[in-house]
Amino acid sequence: MQMTDLPPAAVLFAGALLLPLFKGKWRFAVALALPLLALADSWAVITEGGASFIPFMGMTLQPVHVHAATPVFATIFCIMLAGGVLFSMNDDRRVELTAAFVYAGGALGVAFAGDLVTMFVFWEVMTLGSTIIIWSGRQNDSYGAGLRYFGMHALGGVALLMGIIIVVTQRLHEGAADPLAFGHFSAMVDGWSHLGWDNAGMWLILVGMLVNAGAPPFSSWIPDAYPEGSTSGTVFLSAFTTKTAVFTLLVAFAGVEVLIYLGVYMAIYGVVYGVNANNMRRLLCYSLVNQVGFMLIGIGVGTKLSIDGAAAHAFAHIVYKALLLMATGSVLAMTGKFRLGELGGLYRTMPVTMWCLIIGGLSISGFPLTSGFTSKSMVVQAIVDESSRMAALGEPHTYLIVTWFLFQAATAGVFLDACVKLTWFIFFQKDSGLRPPDPPWNMKAAMIAFAFICILLGVFPGILYQILPYQGEAAEYAKVVYSLEHVMVMLGMLGFSGLAFFLLLPILKRGSYIHLDIDWIWRRFIPRFWKEVLLPLLQQLDNAQKAILESLPGRGMRDANLPPPIARRMGNMWAVSVPVFLIVLMLLVYLVVYFVIPTL
Amino acid sequence: MSDEPKTPGTSNRVLIAWLVGAAVLVAIVAVDYTVHHHAHFAADGIDVDAMPEFFPVFGLVCGFVLVLISKTLSIALKRKDTFYADD
Repeated sequence: MQMTDLPPAAVLFAGALLLPLFKGKWRFAVALALPLLALADSWAVITEGGASFIPFMGMTLQPVHVHAATPVFATIFCIMLAGGVLFSMNDDRRVELTAAFVYAGGALGVAFAGDLVTMFVFWEVMTLGSTIIIWSGRQNDSYGAGLRYFGMHALGGVALLMGIIIVVTQRLHEGAADPLAFGHFSAMVDGWSHLGWDNAGMWLILVGMLVNAGAPPFSSWIPDAYPEGSTSGTVFLSAFTTKTAVFTLLVAFAGVEVLIYLGVYMAIYGVVYGVNANNMRRLLCYSLVNQVGFMLIGIGVGTKLSIDGAAAHAFAHIVYKALLLMATGSVLAMTGKFRLGELGGLYRTMPVTMWCLIIGGLSISGFPLTSGFTSKSMVVQAIVDESSRMAALGEPHTYLIVTWFLFQAATAGVFLDACVKLTWFIFFQKDSGLRPPDPPWNMKAAMIAFAFICILLGVFPGILYQILPYQGEAAEYAKVVYSLEHVMVMLGMLGFSGLAFFLLLPILKRGSYIHLDIDWIWRRFIPRFWKEVLLPLLQQLDNAQKAILESLPGRGMRDANLPPPIARRMGNMWAVSVPVFLIVLMLLVYLVVYFVIPTL
Repeated sequence: MSDEPKTPGTSNRVLIAWLVGAAVLVAIVAVDYTVHHHAHFAADGIDVDAMPEFFPVFGLVCGFVLVLISKTLSIALKRKDTFYADD
């Protein structure tokens, strides 16, 4: 059997099965070797342009297919897993490590998926793996957060599956040669700006992908769930779900304008909520949403350079976000504290962690000589280029100008937030009296390796540019990326945004607060509405039903074994009135929707 | 990174950090003045970004505005971090 016959994801799934068989150092040796083997296998497949076909219900599955964006995503998924394994070596979390391999295997499977069914299956595998990682976190709210996370992704998965079924059915009716093909949507993108209900399948697929990307209104699952992972679990979590969503959007929906608007919202949302965050890892989760917003903008602009920018930024982001979460995870592991207000003065005893956090913070801000600068600036340039092109054609493009300014504003904001604020509150400000040492060697090694990659890609961007989807455009851009003007734009903006932080420091003091988000609707409003409004109402109906039944003539009815009160736990017998009431309610809603939206 | 820590007088290190931060910002302003910035959206008659020192001012203003928006929202949305745990 040749290397190219082996699907790269299979290497990681095999790892998940094998790892429990090993103990101690051997387990970590195997765990470190497998991502590297998967990386080698990925590149063997990419080099061969490998494609395998499996007959499936009269159609064809393509479990191993190389998309233009596959090399960059497959590479970083494998590197990320190896880095995460190294970081987690001192913490013996067997279930979490196995789940991480399943999770990363799912992500790698999606990166090589050539058809919608394969993509969906791996997509769901990721949901399972990641939920187990959250549950393995053993934090206060890990169980609840994992349940909410699973519910959210199950919802997204259902939307995705429904969309796939509709699209495939439509394609079969149209007699398409390859009805399951994943990656052919771009041919249909022209009509996206005025997408109608007849494209419902596409919309549902888009929604399914956007849920995983953390797009509004579902951005809050990221800061809700990820901080509940363990120190290493959150590092794994930050890398795969959102970036796999970015990959699928990039393959299927490049150039879809709505992604620009969603991306701008996410970029600003991440900063605004991040400024208020007190939990250091939650702050980074908000900035994760901010950065995925930048990627969505790149995908939405849809030019070759912007797609390159989005892919490069996903690569760079996985590295520096993991680095930031490793550094904050180290602080958490060594101090047991996660609130910024309880930290301070750690620069004395955690210098390695501090410098790694600073390098990660500079990278996320797009500071020159870091990976964020060489990746994010591609998207910025692409917005300008596309705006100029549309201006020359006389097409409306004001939204691109507005996007550019907001993009830059969010960049300034994320420096203030995820770099200056985080560094200041953890390592400086008042002396908390804590004197923890830097973390164990493996955690330091993982951080230093990822910090090195941040700088390497900042100084030698060509390394990353040569595996991007459109290498020609990237090579052209490499010639101008370090123009003095580019550099001064960033230095001016970031430097003075940092000044704003210190000028506003008196109002940035931390308290033990959270800030309500849209998830308040399903975490508080719906449960309370059920408990305080709907349930009493149903109890009244139940009583009324009993009263009616008892007033009916005939002993048989009166002696009937009536169901117990509705307030009992689910699983007990329920009165018929409840389902009848709910069905009538649903029919009523349907009727209203039918008349309000006659096109349905 | 830049600028003034708010624990003045605790040590020379704080003063040095303050001075280095200020020097870096002054250097940025000085160099930026000498760099020619082209207008990104000249075709649309927007040339504000070609003005000298536009980006330092933009960074400062954005920092202020985003923090103030954030703090304003915070007034309405702030809850104790045991808010959901109380359920």
